Amino acid sequence: MTGLIPGNMLEELFVQTLNGIYYGSILFMIASGMTVILGILGILNLAHGELYAIGAYTTTSVLGYVVGISPPLSTPFGTAAFVFLVISGCFVASLLLLPIGAIIERVLMKPIYDRHELYQLLATFGLLFVLTDAIRFIWGERPVSVSGVYSPLSFSAIPVGEFQYPFYNVLVIVTAFALFGLLLYFFSYTKYGRIIRATAINREMATAIGINQNRVFTAIFALGAFLAGFGGAIFVPPTAANLDMGTTPLILSFVIIVIGGLGSIRGAFAAAMIVGLLSRWATWLYPQFEIAAPFAIMIAILLFKPEGLFGTWSELS
Amino acid sequence: MTTNITTLVSSLDRRHFLGTGALFILLPVLPDILPGVTLGSITRGVLFGITALGLALLIRHTMLVSFGNMAYFGLGAYAAAFGATYLQVRSAILLFVLAIAAGTLAAIVVGYIISSHQDIYFALLTLGFAGLVHALAIGSELTNYSDGLSVRTELARPTFFGAELPVEVYELGIYYLAAVCLVVLLFFAWQIITSPFGRALQAIGQNRQRATFIGINVRRYVWAVFVISGLYAGVAGGLFALLELHIRPGNTLSVFRSGELLVMVIVGGFRTLLGPIAGGFLITYLLDTVRFYTDYYYTVTGIVLLTVVYLLPDGIVGTLIRRSQTADGKTSRRWLSDGPAVVVDSAKQALGWVKFW
Repeated sequence: MTGLIPGNMLEELFVQTLNGIYYGSILFMIASGMTVILGILGILNLAHGELYAIGAYTTTSVLGYVVGISPPLSTPFGTAAFVFLVISGCFVASLLLLPIGAIIERVLMKPIYDRHELYQLLATFGLLFVLTDAIRFIWGERPVSVSGVYSPLSFSAIPVGEFQYPFYNVLVIVTAFALFGLLLYFFSYTKYGRIIRATAINREMATAIGINQNRVFTAIFALGAFLAGFGGAIFVPPTAANLDMGTTPLILSFVIIVIGGLGSIRGAFAAAMIVGLLSRWATWLYPQFEIAAPFAIMIAILLFKPEGLFGTWSELS
Repeated sequence: MTTNITTLVSSLDRRHFLGTGALFILLPVLPDILPGVTLGSITRGVLFGITALGLALLIRHTMLVSFGNMAYFGLGAYAAAFGATYLQVRSAILLFVLAIAAGTLAAIVVGYIISSHQDIYFALLTLGFAGLVHALAIGSELTNYSDGLSVRTELARPTFFGAELPVEVYELGIYYLAAVCLVVLLFFAWQIITSPFGRALQAIGQNRQRATFIGINVRRYVWAVFVISGLYAGVAGGLFALLELHIRPGNTLSVFRSGELLVMVIVGGFRTLLGPIAGGFLITYLLDTVRFYTDYYYTVTGIVLLTVVYLLPDGIVGTLIRRSQTADGKTSRRWLSDGPAVVVDSAKQALGWVKFW
């Protein structure tokens, strides 16, 4: 680390902050899926981390084709087009999660909505086990990466003082901010968004005015699964997909939705950024605190402001 | 006196003896009758059974779910490891006591903070503390990061009464200690649920507000039962450290182990006393042993779980009891539901027999 010289320190801080926002962006995608499912269906989905992993693995299978149609990387335009194609590939790959989410909701969740929430937790925990093995069965035991994507991605960088910052990361951050805006717009201003919010606030009343609750629930679970999968998809190109990859995002998602407020998308965004930034700053300055920091904030929030930064809404509150 | 004995003898039920006998005899001979299962994995089954029983005490009455009981298990285990590594404590019993104290103390502190919270907030707070403890253990030099600590002092196993036993005898000793703890704690659990304290907890679980109105100090009761569940976890954690002789955050503190604990409780049936113990054995067996037969051992556990959720909502033991109730109109297998009660009954009856003859 060259953190001793003040000039470098500032640049390092800038880069670590960018890293934090990048990490927070990925966390936001996963946590937003979880918070949407929790806020509207009232289910804490323990298999969420595996949906994220499925998104990542599918992407490793799909990206090879995307790289093939990319223009030559020698020009700046070529590089930009390449990175854009990778992100589009991630999007397409995670579309697979829509039917998976819908099937899970229809087959596993629908029969147990009336039962104690303990059973819903348990069903998703069982699903976690089964999905882990399904991934092992399809993609095998060893980590999977797309080497044809990895090296071009790491070469396309923007200079920040002495450092080079990957262009890919910047585009991921932009994507996450766009997604955040899109979700807010969808839930606040569109007809379907309002229908979903109405169902979340009062199920009986929504049914009475002619909303098909079953369809809303299926759609929301599919959307939540897609968001988790997209997070995994966008995380994987510069790294590799492995069997344990779902664990940390699952637990950090809990932490994020508690800090932000159960069911709140704004809260999930703010909390994801807080957790992302803190964990990257901690990795840089005081690594021992990296894993502990999110839990410490979560406990503090639960004790002093249990409804979270942005409050809970819907039938949860 | 004679009438007393006669009534005792006349109420004698052969089934009670069978049940009680099975409970007492089965525990010590398990390693001999189950081929392919190591003594270690059976002991682990007993230990997770104890922890699951403690968690079930919390859930069955208050309906509050803890996601973090492994924290007290792990703290107990780490306390024993600390004693051996840093304080040079060699006595196994002393390390065991250290572990119980650590698990209980941690539960007292955490329980005090969280006992006024409800539902999902209670569950998430327990998860938060468990995550924090796990993160601290991974991140600190004192606990040797994710490599964990040894429970040996200068490469020697802990001693029983100053003697260092050969490894087979040592393992057997730990096993019997665990079995005795299980029986004692089962009896204790039965005492709790039949006491006024247990009734008050039940009232809290049914309707918290009503319980407050009739004068129950809800917070203090929740705190108390949380501490008891921490004590159970501490007992099991200490014995786990003595058994494994090396503990890592991954197998003692991880939040996923807490999830498995919850699974044990529900799979067995959280409204029964023997259920969590059976669940502890079954899940430990599945996770430990099935991996030698198939690569997809997680699926086996997952399917057991889904089966319980969709087909046996009362858990395995709970369903057995209900079946026997509906068949005869009364509970013929009473030992399943209130095991220790029958143990005591039968012991009294046995004593009656001895005096009678």
